[in-house]
Amino acid sequence: MPTALQPGFVLHRRPYSDSSLLLEIFTAEHGRLVLIARGVKGAKRTGAAQAALLQPFQPLWLSWSGRGEVKTLTRAEAAGRALALTDTRLYCGLYVNELLMRLWPRQEGSEPLFLAYQMILAALGREVVPEQSLRQFELSLLTAMGYELVLDRVVDGGIAVQPEEHYLLIPGQGLRRALAPGASSVSGETLHRLAQNAPLLEPRHRREAKRLLRQALAPHLGSKPLRSRELFRKPDN
Amino acid sequence: MSESNLLSELIDALRRLPGIGPRSAQRIAFYLLERDRDSGRRLAAIMAAAMDRIGRCNTCRTLTEASLCSICANPKRDQSLLCVVEHPADIVAIEQATDFSGGYFVLGGRLSPLDGIGPAELELGRLQGRLAAGGVRELILAISPTIEGSATSHYIAEMAAAQQVPVTRIAHGVPLGGELEYVDGGTLAHAFSGRQPV
Repeated sequence: MPTALQPGFVLHRRPYSDSSLLLEIFTAEHGRLVLIARGVKGAKRTGAAQAALLQPFQPLWLSWSGRGEVKTLTRAEAAGRALALTDTRLYCGLYVNELLMRLWPRQEGSEPLFLAYQMILAALGREVVPEQSLRQFELSLLTAMGYELVLDRVVDGGIAVQPEEHYLLIPGQGLRRALAPGASSVSGETLHRLAQNAPLLEPRHRREAKRLLRQALAPHLGSKPLRSRELFRKPDN
Repeated sequence: MSESNLLSELIDALRRLPGIGPRSAQRIAFYLLERDRDSGRRLAAIMAAAMDRIGRCNTCRTLTEASLCSICANPKRDQSLLCVVEHPADIVAIEQATDFSGGYFVLGGRLSPLDGIGPAELELGRLQGRLAAGGVRELILAISPTIEGSATSHYIAEMAAAQQVPVTRIAHGVPLGGELEYVDGGTLAHAFSGRQPV
C-alpha cells in the first residue's frame, strides 16, 4: 500500500540504472528516506517532466511504497513553485542539504527540523547569503539531534551570559567565560542575538556566530569536511 | 544449466556494460560464440586497442587517440568561442545538431558536493588556465540544467568574470513539438523569464 501524499523535498539525487533516479528525500513525518523513482530519466515525455520535478528545492507531495530501506516512489506532485536558487544561494542550499545528509539519521521524523528547513529555503529565496537564517537552521539541527547549544548560560554554575563578556565553546559541554577576547571566542552580545534570533547586524556578529556554529558542528562531522564549503572559496590558482 | 568458467566470465563482463542486464549478457555471449566468432574476435581486438590507445585531448579533454582531437587540430574552427560541456558525448550531440564551429572544453562531470565532487575533481584548473592564456572571446556553457549543473555554471561564470571573459549559457525552455500544458512548471518558468523579442 502506498503511503498518503506527504510534504517533502529532494535533498539529493543520483542516476540509478538507465532510466531511474535514486532520491534522498526529507519529509516531516519520516525524516530522511531513500526512494527509487523508476523510469523518470530519458527521453520519454512523462518521464522528463517527472525528472524536472524531482529536483532539490522544489516543494513536493510524495507517496511511496515498500518495506525495505529503499522504497519506491509511487507519486510526486509539485506542492508549490520551485525555489529558483541562483549563484551563491545555490551554494548555500547545497550546504544545507549536505548538512542534513551528513548529520540527520535516516527514517527519523522531526516536525521542528522540517519547519526549520522550510524557513531556511524561504530565506534563501529572499537574501543572497542569509547568515542569520543559516545560523538558526544550524542551531535547529543541533537541537533536533539532541545536542542543543545553550546560548544564555555558561556550563559550570549556570551563570547567565553577559553581553560585554567573551565566551569559549567547550565541545560537548557548552560555553565558558573567556579571560580575554581571542581568536576563537565569541562575545556575549553575539550569543544574545543568536539566542533571540535577532539580526546579526555587524560583520563581527556574523563572523563570531559562523565560527561558533562551525565549532559546534565539527565534532559531529568528524574528519570528513563538508564538500559544499569548497564552492564558496574563490577559484584562484 | 552449468556453465564453463570462461563463459560465465564473459557473461559477467558483458553485464558491466550500461543497459545490459544478465539476460541480454547471456544472449550476446551465446550469439557470439555460436554464430559469429569473427565479430567477437574483432570486438575483442578493437576493445583492447581502444582501451589502451584512447586518451584525452591535451586542449579540450575529450576522448581521442592523438594528442590533439580533430576539433582542436582543425584550423578552421574558431577557438575564441569556447563551449563548455560535461562529457565527450555532449560534443557529439552538439556537433550533430548545430552548426557551432568553435572549440570545446570537457569538464568530466559537474560539481556535486554531496557526491564528493568538488572543484578539484573536475578539469576546472585546466579551464582556468585556458581562460588565463587569453584568446577566448565568449565562453558558452552547455551544462545540464540540474541543481549541480547550475552550481557548476555559476562557479565557471565567476571564474570567467575574474578573467574578464564574457559568458553565455544555452537557453532552457519548452522542447520543440512539446505542448505548454505538459511542460513542467520549472521549465516553463525558465522559458517565460528567458522570453525573446520575435
